[in-house]
Amino acid sequence: MKIDTHIDKFRRLDEALKHLRPDEDYELWIWTAMNACVNLLNAALHRSGLTDASDSFHTQVEGLYARPDRTRGTTSDAIHAPGDVMHAGQPVLATPLPDTIACASSALALIEGLREPFVRGDGIPTAVETADWERAYRTCIRELSLVLDLAISP
Amino acid sequence: MNESRHFNKAMRIEHSLQSLDVEHFEAVIEGTMLAGTHWFNILLHRANIVGENADAMHAEFLSVGARRKIAVLLAEPLAALDEIEALRTTHVRGDMPDGAGAARRALACLAVLRGQALAGARAEPPG
Repeated sequence: MKIDTHIDKFRRLDEALKHLRPDEDYELWIWTAMNACVNLLNAALHRSGLTDASDSFHTQVEGLYARPDRTRGTTSDAIHAPGDVMHAGQPVLATPLPDTIACASSALALIEGLREPFVRGDGIPTAVETADWERAYRTCIRELSLVLDLAISP
Repeated sequence: MNESRHFNKAMRIEHSLQSLDVEHFEAVIEGTMLAGTHWFNILLHRANIVGENADAMHAEFLSVGARRKIAVLLAEPLAALDEIEALRTTHVRGDMPDGAGAARRALACLAVLRGQALAGARAEPPG
């Protein structure tokens, strides 16, 4: 997707996150934080020229995109050079990441790693853990904001 | 994961969804997928299609054989979860128009999944 679209999505997801509590709503908090970060990561990767801001959407299958026909309101499957990434490191990009994006990706990977124990599994987080999650979220947003020259106060 | 644990997770996520509005459509659609998948797993376990030690993660990642069985035994919930997954591509990872409408569709699909899971639970409560 286009950079501005990713930023719009980030802002909406970040706003949704403010309605959720990491200690009470941790399943949806984790998922929403992850999606917010992924959108900002994609915007930063496009801005840095590391991936293409192509008009296609990542599907659930790594490397498979859905290309929209905006007149008909339909999509068709497509495989092309990396556009949007699905998660940190998925797909692996040919070019090494700049330090800021690498730092943000590490923070995002921490959040993504919470899916198995706390969303699909039934782990219950401690206060120390949720504080770590919020710190990772803020780190990811702060680093990517630098790349995008955005004023965001997470 | 067993039925009562799926039940608790689905109910927790649905409770969190109540904090959001359809204008937060990406988060709402994702929440319906998360809760809906827990309801779907209850149905799969109950039908002995997938064991409690092998939860389905996304409907499209089921084996071809499992999907064929599910299409016969659990056609309506499978269609509901497939529709939620399709909305994720077009409106969460994509920017097709009417996100709020897509969120309302996802919530309707979630109601189908919940209804089917709870209908069975009345006859045989989770335990």
